[in-house]
Amino acid sequence: MSPLSRRRLLTSAGVGAAGLGIGGAGFLVGQETAEANAEGTGTVEFYGPHQAGIDTPAQDRLHFAAFDLVEDDPQALRDLLEAWSAAAAEMTRGEPVGDENDLLVAPPDDTGETVGLLPSSLTVTFGFGPAIFERPALGLSGKKPAALAPLPPLPGDELNVLESGGDLCVQACSDDPQVAFHAIRNLARIGRGTVVMRWSQLGFGRTATTSRSQATPRNLMGLKDGTANIRAEDTGAMDRFVWVGDETDQSWMRGGSYMVTRRIRMLLEIWDRSSLEDQEQTIGRRKYSGAPLTGSKELDPLDLEAEKNGKPVIAEDAHVRLASATVNDGERILRRGYSFTDGVDESLGELEAGLFFICFQQNPERQFVSIQRRLGQFDALNEYIKHVGSAVFAVPPGAQRNGFVGEPLLA
Amino acid sequence: MNRLSFRAALCLGAAMLLALFATACGSSNDDPPAGAETMSFKITNAGCDPHNAKAKAGPIDFQIESESSKVTELEVLDGETILGEKENLTEGLNGSFSLTLEEGEYTLRCNGGEEEDGVLTVTGKLESEDSPQVEKAIAEYRKYLEENTDELVSGTTPFVAAVVAGDVAKAKALYPAARIPYERIEPVAESFGDLDPRIDARENDVRPSEFGGFHRIEKALWEEGTTQSMIPIAEQLQKDVEDLALKVKSVKLQAVQIVNGANELLGEVSASKITGEEERYSHIDLVDFKANVEGSQVAFEADEPLLSEADPKLAKEIEADFEAVYESLEPYETADGFVPYTDLTKADTRKLAQGIDALAEKLSQVPAVIVRQASS
Repeated sequence: MSPLSRRRLLTSAGVGAAGLGIGGAGFLVGQETAEANAEGTGTVEFYGPHQAGIDTPAQDRLHFAAFDLVEDDPQALRDLLEAWSAAAAEMTRGEPVGDENDLLVAPPDDTGETVGLLPSSLTVTFGFGPAIFERPALGLSGKKPAALAPLPPLPGDELNVLESGGDLCVQACSDDPQVAFHAIRNLARIGRGTVVMRWSQLGFGRTATTSRSQATPRNLMGLKDGTANIRAEDTGAMDRFVWVGDETDQSWMRGGSYMVTRRIRMLLEIWDRSSLEDQEQTIGRRKYSGAPLTGSKELDPLDLEAEKNGKPVIAEDAHVRLASATVNDGERILRRGYSFTDGVDESLGELEAGLFFICFQQNPERQFVSIQRRLGQFDALNEYIKHVGSAVFAVPPGAQRNGFVGEPLLA
Repeated sequence: MNRLSFRAALCLGAAMLLALFATACGSSNDDPPAGAETMSFKITNAGCDPHNAKAKAGPIDFQIESESSKVTELEVLDGETILGEKENLTEGLNGSFSLTLEEGEYTLRCNGGEEEDGVLTVTGKLESEDSPQVEKAIAEYRKYLEENTDELVSGTTPFVAAVVAGDVAKAKALYPAARIPYERIEPVAESFGDLDPRIDARENDVRPSEFGGFHRIEKALWEEGTTQSMIPIAEQLQKDVEDLALKVKSVKLQAVQIVNGANELLGEVSASKITGEEERYSHIDLVDFKANVEGSQVAFEADEPLLSEADPKLAKEIEADFEAVYESLEPYETADGFVPYTDLTKADTRKLAQGIDALAEKLSQVPAVIVRQASS
């Protein structure tokens, strides 16, 4: 009984590896994406010094889930990360999870909906929430990084507790939504009995550019999103702002990062009625070109000093001003979010949609929290958005082959 | 109602499983077991050809060729229980399936043929290699089935009497006690043709004219407040539970089948008890929930000795998970049963559902473990 392999299925169908890649299969129509890797199957290596899915060029689709431990059992947590890492390695290679998929009396190890599909640049990224370091039975309190703390209440928060926080998280990104979905579903299944799903989020449409090879996408407000984002190729910026280095008090985090997720509801009905000028003033950029109001091209730098008729061209409360590095002591974050819609708000009959914001940084308090404190108080954009979910996770460094994510922490 | 999955549980494809499975067992599109007798049939407008057949007890590979587009399936039945079949064979198509049969007379049926039924006579002794351990477990589980069908009859009888007498209050009080034994052994009922839908269908499971059994009466009692037109339905229910008690005495049981029943009972909980869909009028879903879990645990324990040999860790984890599920139900217990389902919040049902999912995921691994153990 030979295991099914997606790659094998493809070659047997006579499809050459080189023929697949950019622009293939329709998911990528209309979007520039990262160059396909050498084999053209869109496999992103799971093992390495950093976890994939951070500096990987942002894929089109997201499935994100936060989990809570059923019991505080250190061995169970360790076993879980081992099993999850092994499964993630299989899925990112385009292989089915597990070994037993063909025995009639057994439920197959892999749920099967990706048989015949390319991995499409699947990345699976794991994170640990602050709570697991607080609970004595897990024995991790001595390993808690000083930089990892639950996010404080921030101005304007309207957080739903049930859709915030979590002991563990998994971020699955792929250009194929079915592949991203399958990853979370199979990991949730592997975790049954050890963890329960706390909340999850499906995302369509990336709202960030994490590589110079990617064009800036638009979020659901119609605005280009991610123009000033850190790019993976800026290794200097990545080392300074994103990767945890020697500054950490916990060596197991070196090569990792801290992830903050914020479910940001966009009040689209209200936004859609505001004038183009209002919209552009709120952001501080031209809507269609993405150029700052002080410039003419998208990548023109912001001129925060420029004035017209005695007033700043980019308003005091414009989003790009308040989020800029200049105004935030030079701090930047790596943004890697996705648009979402979850149907209709029951109580309002309006679209439940917006941005599932994800960012990575070296120090949440210094970076996201400080920036958001400013935005939450002053941002003109607040008229049109609401933060309804929030979480922070320590994302450990990558796993070595025959190892698993979090091994230095849990060993 | 999971008739298909329970029937499928009777059928396993590989020769190595012969040792465990003394009776009918089959598969389609798999390699026939080693040493299987091959029997060839044609499907024609007149029916199966040959119409009747004889075979020796043991594994049989049925090779079928269709010469009809009107008659497109061939089935082998034991009474009205389908043991194996091949469907969708239109003219010119071939198909096959294999069964392991013990001595007896079976029906050979080509549905829609002029004379659709013939007889397949199987003679000789089948080598049974059930270990004494397995035989003991099966016997114990059969005892549990019979105890519960007897309890079902003795619980249904006064319930039916109250319904017939028009005593709504009394019938309501007696309803849970009649439900419990049925919910403990439900998958077995499902293997007997349409007994399960007749006894236990919910309103939207069947055509309106076919809606009877417990839930039709439940609706009358709780929603309509009268049992006026329920007498024929109550009397039919009495007949059906008595029929079930009789059939259970002679049902063939296999080790893996019993474990699959354990899995199915937990599926019942997840699909309809935890959602409150089962007892839509009386809201005694938690009563059914506990009964399903009890039945599942007994079914599991029938196979536990086998499992403990193969994977003692898994066996212990499953027992612990059962205990955790009972514990999670405790907050909802009352002096005479459980709070009504309508008292539960989303947070309550979520916790219960997650406990069941954790247990069921582990339990679903047991058949493969047992099968591997048997062939090693």
